[in-house]
Amino acid sequence: MKAENPRQIGARVQRFEDVRLLSGVARYIDDIRLPNCLHLTFARSQMAHGRILDVDTSALEDIGYPTWVFTGKDIGDLSMKAHQDVPEMQYSEQPLLARDVVRFVGEPVAAVLAEDPYLSEDAAEMVFIDCDPLPVVGTMDQARDPSIPPIHDGWKSNVFIERQMKGGDLEAARANAAYVVRRTFRNQRQTGVPMECRGVVAQYSPGDRMLTVWSSTQMPHLVRTYISEELDLPESRIRVIAPEVGGGFGVKGQVFGEEVLVAWLAMKTQRPVKWIEDRRENLIASIHARDHAHTLEAYVSKEGRLLGLWADISVDVGAYSTFPFTAAGDPGMAAKVMPGPYDFQAYEATFRALASNKCPLGTYRGVARPSAVFSQERLMDEIAKEIGMDPIEFRLKNIIREFPYKNVLGFTYDPGSYAESLEKIREILADDIAAARETRHSKEKRIGVGLACFIEQTAHGTPDFTRRRVPIETGYIAARVEMQPDGTVVIGLGLQSHGQGLETTMAQVAADALGIDPKDVFVRHGDTLTSPYSVGTWGSRGGPLGGGAVHLASLKIADKLKAIAAHQLQSNKDQISLGGGKAYITDDPSRYIPIRTLARQALRNVENLPEGMIPGLEAEYSLDGPRDGTYSNAVHAAVVEIDVPTGKLKLKRFVVVEDCGTIINPLVVDGQVRGGVVQGIGSALFEHMIYDEQCQPLTTSFADYLMPLAPELPNIEVHHIETPTPLNPIGAKGLGEGGAIGPAPAIANAVSDALGVEVNETPLTLNAIWRLSAHIRGEAS
Amino acid sequence: MRPAAFEYHRAASIEEALSLLAEFGEDGRPIAGGQSLVPMMNLRLARPEHLVDINSLELDKIERTGDTLSLGALVRHERYFNEPLIAEHFPAFLDAAHWIGHPTIRRHGSLGGSISHADPSAELPCVCVLHDATIVARSVNGERRIPASEFFISAYVTALEPGEMVVAVELPIPQRKQHGAFIEIAERMGDFAVIGIGAVLELDGDTVLDARIACAGAELTPVRAASAEQFLKGRQLTEEVAQEAGQLFAQSVDPVNDYRSSAEYRRHLIVQLTSRTLMRAMKSKA
Ligand SMILES: Cc1cc2nc3c(=O)[nH]c(=O)nc-3n(C[C@H](O)[C@H](O)[C@H](O)COP(=O)(O)OP(=O)(O)OC[C@H]3O[C@@H](n4cnc5c(N)ncnc54)[C@H](O)[C@@H]3O)c2cc1C
Repeated sequence: MKAENPRQIGARVQRFEDVRLLSGVARYIDDIRLPNCLHLTFARSQMAHGRILDVDTSALEDIGYPTWVFTGKDIGDLSMKAHQDVPEMQYSEQPLLARDVVRFVGEPVAAVLAEDPYLSEDAAEMVFIDCDPLPVVGTMDQARDPSIPPIHDGWKSNVFIERQMKGGDLEAARANAAYVVRRTFRNQRQTGVPMECRGVVAQYSPGDRMLTVWSSTQMPHLVRTYISEELDLPESRIRVIAPEVGGGFGVKGQVFGEEVLVAWLAMKTQRPVKWIEDRRENLIASIHARDHAHTLEAYVSKEGRLLGLWADISVDVGAYSTFPFTAAGDPGMAAKVMPGPYDFQAYEATFRALASNKCPLGTYRGVARPSAVFSQERLMDEIAKEIGMDPIEFRLKNIIREFPYKNVLGFTYDPGSYAESLEKIREILADDIAAARETRHSKEKRIGVGLACFIEQTAHGTPDFTRRRVPIETGYIAARVEMQPDGTVVIGLGLQSHGQGLETTMAQVAADALGIDPKDVFVRHGDTLTSPYSVGTWGSRGGPLGGGAVHLASLKIADKLKAIAAHQLQSNKDQISLGGGKAYITDDPSRYIPIRTLARQALRNVENLPEGMIPGLEAEYSLDGPRDGTYSNAVHAAVVEIDVPTGKLKLKRFVVVEDCGTIINPLVVDGQVRGGVVQGIGSALFEHMIYDEQCQPLTTSFADYLMPLAPELPNIEVHHIETPTPLNPIGAKGLGEGGAIGPAPAIANAVSDALGVEVNETPLTLNAIWRLSAHIRGEAS
Repeated sequence: MRPAAFEYHRAASIEEALSLLAEFGEDGRPIAGGQSLVPMMNLRLARPEHLVDINSLELDKIERTGDTLSLGALVRHERYFNEPLIAEHFPAFLDAAHWIGHPTIRRHGSLGGSISHADPSAELPCVCVLHDATIVARSVNGERRIPASEFFISAYVTALEPGEMVVAVELPIPQRKQHGAFIEIAERMGDFAVIGIGAVLELDGDTVLDARIACAGAELTPVRAASAEQFLKGRQLTEEVAQEAGQLFAQSVDPVNDYRSSAEYRRHLIVQLTSRTLMRAMKSKA
């Protein structure tokens, strides 16, 4: 008789954390209430660029209640530094409170503390910031204009960095091309919008010389390291806790000046200090994203084969470089991934990060890939049109089919299902494609179908960051698995979960390795005191690297359990299996010992252990990413219906075919994909951080910064193909970001298909679609 | 995003509300559903020193007196959906209510609040102008009856004076059966309109006996389409005629230009939506 061991990996396990999240007992940053706490409100710059003449805080003297106020003059040289260690980089340094110059609207200038958040907000209003305006850098053209002075002292220009990447013989590709297709694409500036804004609480306890910092962050250990270095405190005396985090999306995947400053203030005032970001601050001064301009030129043979690609990539990264991915993060990533899933061997890209008097740019779900794939996939449609080929056919002709594949930049792609997913989507969309064709000449209603085929490098590890020379430096993820005397398990996870369902998926992985029920696995995360050092949750790494680490650490414990069981069953540990809460003889499951009995023996009745065995059931494993990561792939498709007379667009259908290797939990994968797609739809149609000519932000509340809402969303259909990667112990690839990458190009391609025009910019607002359809109404566009 | 300090007063009667408002003058404001005022206070765009809560006043009646339908200032937007008198006599009003915000906003937001707030893109000010409503305002000095066409002065500016409060809106019940519709275009469902058009028709078969058209979102106050209304009288309503009416309307307005929608686009929408709204009103006949 064989034992029944239902595999947990792949099972549709309802998320354990949802009980807490949906019943209102989860505790977020604002729920951290400490006695005697001071509340912090920032006085922020209202000017985009100016020399500070005076920060006048005298009005606080007779405000009638106690306040504490700090300006740039009071904080020494505390600052945020995020340098990429390459000679081309011009460094920026952002004082935690602006000292001589303000460089964007929303930059913190003074920190005002009071015993109540209402009072600190009232008081902060009374700080008068006197600034002499300086010329603003508000556009990419201005940033590249040598006649406009640099926004940082000692800089030669407003270019943070400009570099190149190349591979193969582009001259030859150009010479052999029958078609040269050149286009320019633009994605707007936006921000990632977590439902919960950021926030920091800090408390210093002199008795044990311990600084505790609660922060709504995706990377508690990195926050700890930065605070330790900047404030010159031992890391062992700092504890950083990320409580429940209500969404991060990469926005909370940087270390922020506020985190360091609140810690410093708590030490300075010897009282707990709390800062809760409000929505306006979150929109204008947290982290912005996208803001890419790409010009691509493709060289294509007579037969429709891509021969080579040339790219020029500019990103407006705002006023300062952000830690730890730096100002070079977005443009570098765009240049690196531009070759995509297609087979060609000549490529050259110039990429640059441009400075401006806007909020700094940082990571947001997809990081540069939504823009890169936008350009790439719009270009594929444009080429197909130019050479008279069906766009899916053209992609299939150029798609990579053999693995491992070494791309033009030397990155090796592990196996995926690129062609298969294109073919699958073609099948799914057959009726829509036909229906769209019917409307081709309508002046009233047009239907269009568009798709975006892409790969995503995931599971980035140390090799990747070493190459990029960014201060993140390392990429492994650690997990410590501890079985308790009763056989239940605690995992201390270096990842921090803010919506990814890691408390469930990691439990599933451990449960499989240990032969127990996932309900008996408790995943602890987001606290530097209880989790092993890791650099946090971002970059689609949790599933493959976290899952891999949990798997391998659990196997170490499994091995020990088997050894104890073998000893007692007078067998050999190779003949022992774990499953259903038992350790049993593989060929005779009737002979078994409950795992909880073994756990008790390992930790309490240790006299039963094999001779010489050290008591305890604890193991740790740190798993780093493979050299080039592992590549997930997907095709997104949008079907749009456009009311030509008004420009109103309706998303009729959105389909995803995705391959993230081994699926740990289909419910979680679907949720991640759908959430990402919704954000991608936001990028495609609505979200736009608009600045006026003086770099004043105009979209400073949800009345103006438009998020996609339920009525605008179609049902998002998700189909899976599973190609496990040999590069990961459980076969998993990353999938957290993919959902957000495909929608903008898929929707733009659908609009282009519907209207028969080039669509080279987002967001596709009402007014934009109306302009794009001018030719149908018989107007000159 | 916390309001500046204010004092809160809950009025138990209209008289008390009026006397509180008289006492505070410029520094006091009524609060009804709070759906516009509270966000403005949180952003510190509004800083009333005194809030007079009028929610317990009996101002939520919908009553017919002779040829007038009177809507209390505290009638919440969602009420129109279940009000036979509105459905029967003011289909454009009912149609418009569907476009206001989201269920929660329609549950709390009030008629008095909406028209006193006077957002240029809001639906209810537009249908008040469309239906030649009379705004009934009261203060300690007595009552004023202000025609809708004079009530809206500019964006967020009305004819109300400090200490004055809207108590009701009166709609003249038409003598003959009217057909009406309201259509708008907004970036997302529930957003304030880029352009919203309301239309009311009196028809004999397909022939227009009388027409009224009004637009939200084009100018700083709702605007009526005098020339288009005139043009339609006596004509048979066809798609072409409706388009032409739209053109006439569009020519007579001077649309605002903002970073999201150009004046040109707004003008274009006026043509399209006027035509569609007229056709929808006519089709509602069936
Ligand atoms: C997310 C969201 C979406 C919305 N979408 C729309 C939309 O699409 N269309 C739309 O029209 N509205 C929309 N609104 C606004 C909503 O309709 C408000 O309810 C309405 O504008 C104000 O009504 P209120 O009762 O909430 O007024 P309040 O917010 O309480 O008051 C608004 C103003 O009117 C004054 N006031 C209130 N009552 C009186 C009175 N009786 N006499 C004199 N002054 C008075 C107040 O002092 C204040 O200045 C939206 C609101 C939100 C939050």
